[in-house]
Amino acid sequence: MTEIETTPDLLDAPAAEAARPAATLPERPLMELLDVSKEFSVRSDGKRVQLSAVNGVSLQVREGRTLGIVGESGCGKSTLARIIVGLHQATSGEMIFDNKQISTTKRRPREVVEQMQMVFQDPSSALNPRATIAESVAFPLQVQGRSSKEIAARVKQVIADVGLPANYATSYPHQLSGGQRQRVNIARALALQPRLVVLDEAVSALDKSIQAQVLNLLTDLQREYQLTYVFISHDLNVVEYISDDVAVMYLGQVVERGSAASLYEKPLHPYTQLLLSSIPSMDPADSTRDQPLDDANNKEIPSPINPPSGCRFRTRCPHAMAICAEEAPRPSNQADDHVVACHLYPGSSSTSLPEQDLRSLTAPAL
Amino acid sequence: MSQATVPVLLPTGFGSDVSNADREEARRRRDEWNAVDQSVRSQSFWRDTGKRFLQNKTGVAAAATVLLLALAAIFAPWLTPYDPLLGEPTDRLQNIGSPGHILGTDEQGRDMWARVLYGGRLSLAAGFIPTVVAAVVGTIIGVTSGMLRGVVGTVLMRFMDMLYAFPAILLAIAVGSSLGPGLTNTIIAVTIVFIPPVARVAEQATRRVVVQEFIEAAHLSGASRFRIARSQILPNVLNDIIVYASGLVGVAMIIAASLSFLGLGSAPPAPEWGYMLNSLRGSLYTTPLVTIVPGFFIFLTSVAFNMASDALREAMDSRL
Repeated sequence: MTEIETTPDLLDAPAAEAARPAATLPERPLMELLDVSKEFSVRSDGKRVQLSAVNGVSLQVREGRTLGIVGESGCGKSTLARIIVGLHQATSGEMIFDNKQISTTKRRPREVVEQMQMVFQDPSSALNPRATIAESVAFPLQVQGRSSKEIAARVKQVIADVGLPANYATSYPHQLSGGQRQRVNIARALALQPRLVVLDEAVSALDKSIQAQVLNLLTDLQREYQLTYVFISHDLNVVEYISDDVAVMYLGQVVERGSAASLYEKPLHPYTQLLLSSIPSMDPADSTRDQPLDDANNKEIPSPINPPSGCRFRTRCPHAMAICAEEAPRPSNQADDHVVACHLYPGSSSTSLPEQDLRSLTAPAL
Repeated sequence: MSQATVPVLLPTGFGSDVSNADREEARRRRDEWNAVDQSVRSQSFWRDTGKRFLQNKTGVAAAATVLLLALAAIFAPWLTPYDPLLGEPTDRLQNIGSPGHILGTDEQGRDMWARVLYGGRLSLAAGFIPTVVAAVVGTIIGVTSGMLRGVVGTVLMRFMDMLYAFPAILLAIAVGSSLGPGLTNTIIAVTIVFIPPVARVAEQATRRVVVQEFIEAAHLSGASRFRIARSQILPNVLNDIIVYASGLVGVAMIIAASLSFLGLGSAPPAPEWGYMLNSLRGSLYTTPLVTIVPGFFIFLTSVAFNMASDALREAMDSRL
């Protein structure tokens, strides 16, 4: 230590690194989901059938970090968000929050409710049209029985935190723009000083420039209050921008997860590759960034009422093999906490594949 | 694999040319702005509704008529020297405009003006009380079943639909005749008739509100369902119910009058407008103008209520 202090050139970089709160945080997860499933009972053709919205999802978020969840619409992202905060009760599965085990299948104890909040998607329906901004933000505090003095102070504080002028407190939602309403949503979620905030498509309804503002606000707030985010979106660019870790969901299952950098740099699962290749390019000569992967006959997403056997993605997978229909791939750690559930990779199948097959498939020709 | 193009939301150097002094200055100005502009008037929904209502001339006229009728009924003893129940047999069936009796007298020589004024008390009570009671009970039933759905909601609403399936007047006659004549029973009968439609309106409005995300947000803050109903749902369904219920007052008066006309309402000597219409039926050929006086007042009151209700709907509807 003393040697370093005498050399100011060397000091700068490590000191700046150490000053970042994230680097000093313990690496244990704040929240962990273990094999969470949710089935809805729905009517289809007059019969009661089970719709498997979320199937065996295990995820973890480290304290002060952001977990991004991406996937097509209907893949169970929002259901998962509601299970995390306790709005939906899961059919099975456990959750560990702050080293305490919480059942996902029962109503939450109050002290846990307070620590997890959610920012909703639609800024127009997420606020009570008959309540002023201050009333909306104060409501969770009133429910939790805080004193009126404390509520007034806290409301003032969070409204300032999200960058709204204090005089907006007496306005009604219809007097605010979409971006401002989303700021109020964030303020309401933060009012109870939660540790985990689930953002369900929180910026999807906003236009690009407002998205950037709100995303920057979110990262500022995260740094200031050590917040942990679960950021759910179908927008791959936004997720990449804000997330430390990313999980890719397909039809209720997590098919791949890893750090944002490694997942976007080297996507392993064919579905992730398909998703990333569909990001529109900035170059008008190319319609998409890469040649879109051959989306086997461009099929519709299969129904979660009767999902395909084995690997749920096999009906659209360009690399589908015989084993994919027979056996569901198990998640396997490929490198540095980069987990993928696909028979193309060693560890996902109970039986191993021939060596040369693997080599040709791990680096798919795009 | 070119997955490298990371979209940059802001240029890397964004904001680097801003000094701390600039930030301080900006903060100072912001605080100043906030300090000065604290007094932005909040646009309350009810204040706006009131303003818009006052701009509607028909609505104001209708509301004024209703108010006038109510005041006249309340201050009846000061507006007429006659007793509505005591007749002067010698002055039977005087025509409109006869000396001492502006609206003439009925078949027992009772002053029509006095009877109309005192009768207004009964008729307005028969219009208001069932509407208010039905609005309260119907709202509770509708909001409950709209929130609970499931078995409880279905059972409640199907029962309401069952009552709603009867024509209003038929149901009122059925309930009224099983309870026996009298104003109280009329009020009970009309209340029962009105609960199902109010419950349906309340249920529909509740269903529209409960699916919105702010209800989920309220659940997330740990609020009980009762608290959510009271503080989040009720303010959002109330205007639908008020608009609907205000239109029912006129109907309630007509049903009450019909029951009296049929002899199921107020007991005979009482000056109820519907009963007055019935008892004067016989003198339709001798003094036709006097005979239609009670009918005219029933018509006037219910039209005034309906027009005021329409104006209220318009004032509330104009989407914020």
